[in-house]
Amino acid sequence: MTLQQKTLHRYRQLFPTKPLREISASTGIQITRVFRLFNGKIMKVGELEAFEKAINEKIHENPHAENLTNLIEEASVILTSDELKKITEYVARKVSARNFARCENQCNYQTANIA
Amino acid sequence: MKGLSSLERVVLESLGKDVLGYEEIRHQAGLLENVFHNVLQALIIRGLIATDGTKYRIAEKISPLILEEINGKSAKQAEYLELIEAVIYQEPKRIFHIQKIAMDSKDEKIFGALLHNLESFLADAHKKAVKSTSVKERKVIFWGMSDVESLMTQIVSGN
Repeated sequence: MTLQQKTLHRYRQLFPTKPLREISASTGIQITRVFRLFNGKIMKVGELEAFEKAINEKIHENPHAENLTNLIEEASVILTSDELKKITEYVARKVSARNFARCENQCNYQTANIA
Repeated sequence: MKGLSSLERVVLESLGKDVLGYEEIRHQAGLLENVFHNVLQALIIRGLIATDGTKYRIAEKISPLILEEINGKSAKQAEYLELIEAVIYQEPKRIFHIQKIAMDSKDEKIFGALLHNLESFLADAHKKAVKSTSVKERKVIFWGMSDVESLMTQIVSGN
């Protein structure tokens, strides 16, 4: 997956039902351009930054997200390999369970993508 | 993710040794439609479930490496943790009790005998009802005991 694909995938995970019109308004990218980007056109750096900014803003709406990021940085330095393995496994299971429940969002995402 | 999630395990247990249709497995597992669909697809992709398009069964030839990955010690521990955590955070219908108990050696022996009786009772209960009770209706029961000092040491050492 390219950086652009990863960014758009993350964006859609966070905003599964957001219509192109609203994506355009929140990123400042023209609606026809947004449509093209979601259909594989190569992004410019500024466009990538606009999506990343929207993603980061959304993530930071949750106060725990920043704590988690900080703690993971600290944990990766001071915890043993076994402890990190357990935490990784724990987080992976949480993510996996959430992904199993995601179909509805993905279906909406596809609809929104077409709209 | 290595191992199996509890959701995947429930679907595999619902299937058991039978060859079942989509709705039959879902009825056993009791998962929401979209969750069940995704879990089933994931298990097919992982090669743990085989299908002819309408019926499903557990794949016959699962490599020992995969079996170790899904049934190995660390995978099981992570799965137990997932279930126990779910019980701890569950609000309605929950029974959960944990306490630090002062116990002399005589009472510890009595407790061990009571646990032994409990295990026998649960084994009998399971045997009696296993055919008439779907997987989703089964109860998750766990118990354990250790002493405070060794647990604290383990927490500090990070094992």
